[in-house]
Amino acid sequence: MTPSQPASRVYFEDVRTGMPLETPGMTVTETHAALFNALSATRPGEPGTIPDLLPLCLSSGLGWRVPQPPLVVLAFMGFEWRFLKPTRIGDTIRSVSKTVAKRSMKEGGIVVEERSILNQHDEVVQSGRLTLLVAKRPAA
Amino acid sequence: MSADPAVYFEDIPVGEEYASPGRTVTEADVVIFAGLSGDYNVLHTDAEHMKASQFGERIAHGLLGLSIQQGLLDRVVTAQVTGPLAAVKWKFKGPIKIGDTIHVEAQVTAKRDGEQPGWGVVTVARRVVNQRGEVVQEGETDHLVGRRPERA
Repeated sequence: MTPSQPASRVYFEDVRTGMPLETPGMTVTETHAALFNALSATRPGEPGTIPDLLPLCLSSGLGWRVPQPPLVVLAFMGFEWRFLKPTRIGDTIRSVSKTVAKRSMKEGGIVVEERSILNQHDEVVQSGRLTLLVAKRPAA
Repeated sequence: MSADPAVYFEDIPVGEEYASPGRTVTEADVVIFAGLSGDYNVLHTDAEHMKASQFGERIAHGLLGLSIQQGLLDRVVTAQVTGPLAAVKWKFKGPIKIGDTIHVEAQVTAKRDGEQPGWGVVTVARRVVNQRGEVVQEGETDHLVGRRPERA
């Protein structure tokens, strides 16, 4: 018997609302801050602090490291985000997310994800909602 | 907060407009952002896959565009106007492709009291525009700005 193949991609039809997914943690280092500041050319903040936008950017990569196959994202449509607490060099962040709404479109579907970034003290440092355009399962 | 000469919440006029210099988004920018963020989505990293996509080629991460526009605006405003972020509402309206040149047009649209005494919130509306005049990203950022200290 052929073992059944695990789904290698998550399409719009596979997205379940309300199921929380938690990423591994990542310690945010001076190197992350220096690379981000050099790439973006944003004005550096106070010594020891992490640029405001960096935890959000890191959460986009952490989001691929959850225990489910990757979501087939066609486009990032937009987001609303709040910055609640500063992140400092040496803090370890992780993100927790869940789909709160999905809506089928002609080409793909809209998925609204609620995401919080937490630090090592379990404090929510940033949170908000992201809107993604996700592919539908190709016809077999 | 900053080494700039003191500019306080009270000094920032609603309606003030800013336009940044341009910056060409390069393949190196996209590769570095993928490495830094860990977002290796095929949209940004697989040129062959993207040939068949609606974009026809790799596109920059939306959050890379957001990060670059923040740096571009920082070059033309005093530190206080783009002080610590309190909130962002943002729309990605079109792709930024490798080789595109973007700039930012921004305006202070609102000011309000902050939640903590001593702080105000300044809202900046921003549009990221490419070399063809197309708005590829737009949104609003809220910034915490210190109030002028009261004299004893």
